Amino acid sequence: MPPFARLLIANRGEIAIRVIRACRELGISPISVHSDADVDALHVQMADSSERIGPPSPRDSYLSIEAIIDAARRSGADAIHPGYGFLSESPDFARAVEAAGLVFIGPPPETLESLGNKLAARRGAQAAGVPIVPGTTVALGDDSHELAGIGYPLMLKASAGGGGRGMRRVDSPGALADALVAARREALAAFGDGTVYAERLLAPVRHIEVQLLGDRHGRLAVLGERDCSIQRRHQKLVEESPSPAVNPGTRAALFESARRVAASVDFHNAATVEFLLDADNNHYFLEMNTRLQVEHGVTELVTGLDLVAWQIRIAAGEPLADAVLNLAGRGHAIEVRLYAEDPYDDFRPSAGRITAWRMPAGPGVRVDAGVSADTDLRTEYDPLLAKLMVYADDRPSAMDRLRRALDETLIGGVQTDAGFLRWLVDDASFVGGSYDTGLIGERWGTDHALDSELGALAATVALAARTMAETGRVRAPGSNRAGSAWGEVARREALRR
Amino acid sequence: MSDLEVQIDGVPVAPARGWRFEIVDPARGIGRLVNGLASMPVIVEGGASDWVVTIRGRRISVTVRSWRERMLAGADTAAAARAGPVAVRATLPGLILSVAASVGDAVEDGATLLTIEAMKMQNDVRAPRSGRVIEVSVHPGQTVATGAPLIRLE
Repeated sequence: MPPFARLLIANRGEIAIRVIRACRELGISPISVHSDADVDALHVQMADSSERIGPPSPRDSYLSIEAIIDAARRSGADAIHPGYGFLSESPDFARAVEAAGLVFIGPPPETLESLGNKLAARRGAQAAGVPIVPGTTVALGDDSHELAGIGYPLMLKASAGGGGRGMRRVDSPGALADALVAARREALAAFGDGTVYAERLLAPVRHIEVQLLGDRHGRLAVLGERDCSIQRRHQKLVEESPSPAVNPGTRAALFESARRVAASVDFHNAATVEFLLDADNNHYFLEMNTRLQVEHGVTELVTGLDLVAWQIRIAAGEPLADAVLNLAGRGHAIEVRLYAEDPYDDFRPSAGRITAWRMPAGPGVRVDAGVSADTDLRTEYDPLLAKLMVYADDRPSAMDRLRRALDETLIGGVQTDAGFLRWLVDDASFVGGSYDTGLIGERWGTDHALDSELGALAATVALAARTMAETGRVRAPGSNRAGSAWGEVARREALRR
Repeated sequence: MSDLEVQIDGVPVAPARGWRFEIVDPARGIGRLVNGLASMPVIVEGGASDWVVTIRGRRISVTVRSWRERMLAGADTAAAARAGPVAVRATLPGLILSVAASVGDAVEDGATLLTIEAMKMQNDVRAPRSGRVIEVSVHPGQTVATGAPLIRLE
């Protein structure tokens, strides 16, 4: 018997597709939702049916609790999966789902409420005997004396924050007053709550998270760690498991801390506890997220589990199997995120229509994509295009596999970070496993003038393309698409030779 | 065809020696550069004189123009320069978060004029050259489309 008959997915893109796949394997009928911008989106095509939830603006569609509850009612869904982002951590949404008599695939609203307050979470971890990043555990006032003991540089963070937003670095006491005002304003605008706190800026440091599954019967599975140290704008770009920086002793300590934090939280779902790890292998609690993570696939590759299926089964009341509780990961997995961003211009988001889309496949390669050729990328939504994951027996083999997979990857029409990722898999500190969160700033840097070799190659291509297009224009069938018009001709020319 | 000249960022560029371009998937503009036994995949988009070539993941804008087109383009540029004021436009649709520049301000090349939130991120819009702000067309809280005029510089 499937745990639910119909499940509505309150999300879009690759994660909506990921949940659809889990539903199919469990015998559940998946229902998607779409804004007017997503009528033709892949996640809409793959579901059994899809409900319109409003105009393109997320505020009026994917973030509209009312529109989504309505859609669930119309479609006869008995459960809702929120994916990540959007409403996945909204206590109000979880409450509305329950009030509508539906099952929320996630924690109780009270848990989202208490963990959404990062300051309260810091106090909770401290009370559980888990080390936290040195800093304040109460909201900052205007008095900078309370920060005297923390030391500089420090980081101001929004208590209601997440995803790298509402964070500000302060290098000296003189810069504090202005930064405090700015951080409060940013936090208020982004989260409707201007409460900020301060943490010591630890460096060099790695970002390590522990994956958990907890059921409604008090059973907890600790499913290994992921190293998420490669970040830009405090947002993750690359994740791997196991972490090359974590030795067995450190791993045991991390798992113990994760268990302690989780013990005081009722979450019955997938969750992660995030830590910073310093050069001396000391770890410090950062935050706990009681939802599916973008990078969950890395853990799925090394454990063989389907975390999304388990989220659904747990929500339906199923206890975690003994085999899951005692699971040890095998091999090594790495994920790189393909974003519509320009790594040669400070990772600025780019937009446009995808003209060419060729994803890698073959042994040990998994691609979770939300777009394909001819998808129009909208700036209203997250610029994540796809997650490319590789799995192999050990880290060096996984690295070779990732290099091969990236060489197979071709994306046309928009600037992506694929070139950066390809550079990364040849970077000594990444390949050697000694990297930390400063890698992009220190080793990739910001100077990306076009080198003359690449320019000359581009010149060769453009010159040939124009020549081919012109030679054939006489005989070519008309086409609106420049790419195809000259391309068709080029092929004929080649065949004639 | 011999009078075609290739430019990247306004600088003439000679084609790479020994490399040849072959088309693989004409409909998608996928091809490869070949040099003896070495090859690398590339993507090419565009038409007439304006092309974008993607090599090793990097999109490179390339202009391929005949002598006649160069002359015409030169005349256009000269006309634009004479026209004086330059309009700064939105390169992404988004929400105006803050406007740092006011009418009458003298700004340096690269100075932050305003901040737009797009793709859930804050993006600074910078002055394309130094000049004086003669018009501010947007205010914080306003949503703008790609290409919308934001600020005019003189």
